[in-house]
Amino acid sequence: MKFVIEKEALLVPLQFVNGAVERRQTLPILSNILMRISAEELTLSATDMEVEMVAKLALAGGEAGDVTVPARKITDICRALPNGAEIAVAVKDGRLSLRSGRSRFNLSILPAEDFPNLEGLVEARDFTIRREQLKRLLERTQFAMAQQDVRYYLNGLLLERTGRRLRAVATDGHRLALCETELDGQGGADFEGVIVPRKGVLELSRLLAEGKDDVRVAIGGQAIRVSGDGVQLTSKLIDGKFPDYTRVVPGPEQCTRRLSTDRELLRQSLSRAAILSNEKYRAVRLCLEGGILRILAHNPEQEEAEEEVEISYEGDTLEVGFNVAYLIDALGAIPSETVRMDLMDGSSSCLIRSADDDGCQYVVMPMRL
Amino acid sequence: MILHVDMDAFYASVEVRDRPELAAKPVIVGGRPGSRGVVAAANYVARRFGVHSAMPSATALKLCPEAVILPVRMAYYAEVSRAIRAIFRTFTPVVEPLSLDEAFLDCSASECLFGSSADIGRRIKRTIRDELDLVASVGVAPNKFLAKLASDLDKPDGFVVVQPEGVRAFLDPLPVERLWGVGRVASTRLARLGIRTVGQLRDASSDVLEALFGRAGSHLRELSRGIDHRAVVPDHLAKSISHETTFATDIADREILRARLLELTEQVARRLRRLGLEARTVQVKLRRSDFQTITRAHTLSSPTDMTQEIWQIADQLLRTGLVRGPGPLRLIGVGVSGLEEPAPRQQTLFEDESRARGRRLDAAVDDINGRFGKRALRRAAELKH
Repeated sequence: MKFVIEKEALLVPLQFVNGAVERRQTLPILSNILMRISAEELTLSATDMEVEMVAKLALAGGEAGDVTVPARKITDICRALPNGAEIAVAVKDGRLSLRSGRSRFNLSILPAEDFPNLEGLVEARDFTIRREQLKRLLERTQFAMAQQDVRYYLNGLLLERTGRRLRAVATDGHRLALCETELDGQGGADFEGVIVPRKGVLELSRLLAEGKDDVRVAIGGQAIRVSGDGVQLTSKLIDGKFPDYTRVVPGPEQCTRRLSTDRELLRQSLSRAAILSNEKYRAVRLCLEGGILRILAHNPEQEEAEEEVEISYEGDTLEVGFNVAYLIDALGAIPSETVRMDLMDGSSSCLIRSADDDGCQYVVMPMRL
Repeated sequence: MILHVDMDAFYASVEVRDRPELAAKPVIVGGRPGSRGVVAAANYVARRFGVHSAMPSATALKLCPEAVILPVRMAYYAEVSRAIRAIFRTFTPVVEPLSLDEAFLDCSASECLFGSSADIGRRIKRTIRDELDLVASVGVAPNKFLAKLASDLDKPDGFVVVQPEGVRAFLDPLPVERLWGVGRVASTRLARLGIRTVGQLRDASSDVLEALFGRAGSHLRELSRGIDHRAVVPDHLAKSISHETTFATDIADREILRARLLELTEQVARRLRRLGLEARTVQVKLRRSDFQTITRAHTLSSPTDMTQEIWQIADQLLRTGLVRGPGPLRLIGVGVSGLEEPAPRQQTLFEDESRARGRRLDAAVDDINGRFGKRALRRAAELKH
């Protein structure tokens, strides 16, 4: 096998597929990238057996062949070459030779036929979604996913489709983010909740960050595949039962205390108060009274912060504690100028939405102080 | 100066107080002889017949057939105990209760208000008699160890003051068995060396003691000199909470050991909750028939005050402890340390149902036992004998 390519053309897809490669591997071949060359196309793939990432790029006059090479090394070499450099790649004497200008590299290789893939896990049924829509679903919910929780089904993002409505839900058991969108096209079928693992979600966000074409989403019993613009990501799904989140999203009619205020001002006030909150528990006390929201924080050194925010408020006086980071995360994910917060009492959840109900809801449980 | 106040034959005295017609009779508070009951307390009339606490009721009745046996009314004694502690607290806030019927008090800071510690001791004794019609023995001494010895010296109705300059004269003639940690085995070993009194022990060479008792040897030497640096720690400032029990006869049956340990765990957890604290470390202490003591501890990732969670660890530690030292035990104990104020508690969206139930159970048990006595409602597993 043999091909010649310009540095930038190779580096971008290399860096993309590198996301799937784990630093510590159980199988040596999983720290390699698979390169498949045909006359006019180069396909790069990497996997950790949970997530598989594939990128395709056009070649002019390549000589066909498949091989795997150490992912980090080839990426580092490629990155370190001068811009605009032309790279000649070939397999010679059981090694991969890389030549560019006056540089020569010989990398170890492993046979391509041993490289695992996640083919066959994904069913043919798929649907198309605008890249921006899927990106928005992820951006506005993924921060609420759990991290290395023993409840493994929380370490991911729930996706479900009913009719044309696609919904994403993430929760770590303390707060929850829910966002939905209307699909334009009719393709595909309804599916019940599937849980995409954390790593798959993070890499999917990277995939969606660049490009402008629509993406195709295929969902099977064991995996999800998203493809578009010459790149493709396949992620196994978490086999577990997501908790019944519909029970914990309070209906607005349940909430007798409603406030709305300037989102950015509130976020900034909370961020300032957070500085003097207990570093471990991040607790702040919110006091709602009349048209004023007071935010109080203190730490073990007895330092104190107090912020006042003007609000429009219906309801009785209320004092309630929260982990300030959860509030800031939710406010940071909402784009609108005005935000609404609906509360019941000091021990029930708080519902946070943008004033122009845009299909995203955030639920935060309080803290008992 | 430290005070040790010890109520004389507490449970029995409370019963006799309420039924003066029993005053001249031998009175035993405890379980019925038929149901393998044991003596919880005996008044001094009964003690003259050789009856003592922890003795099977059947044996006690053989020694003293005319004894009146009364059931244990723990809730009532607890109520009386609270009244006694309330009297203590009018003199000093530094009160460390050891059980319902005894406590250490540090009155050093109260002397300018109420006179010398000895005066305070006398006033406490008088107030308990006047207000509650009960008799306390009081020891006043420079430290806890000596105060406890002093309160015991002239029981019942004792009042003994040991001044700092009188420590030697006080200790030297006492038999070595009066020292904490010197039981049957240790006193026999000492007797072989001709050491029978504390004075003789004080003069013994440290090498000999070390060879005989290891690290405990230097502790014994300190005690023989009347040295004890432990402070009086009020309950709410405690660094650890523990309960232990010495069995009347050694127990090898694992299920019975578990039952007793569960009972102690419940007591420890309840005290923890009453103080509004949570603990990080659980420790189990086992003492074998040959006095070898085994302790096992485990530290949790997040502190707890739940009986269920402390018990899970204690049960596990008992198992590993018994692997190390199988065979009958004479003592079992459980303690918690690493106490902290409960952290702000993040509420959860999806309640862990077993945890939530555990919390509700603890609250209900505490509530019921607070009203009807600490053994009113118990876990069935504690009932194994």
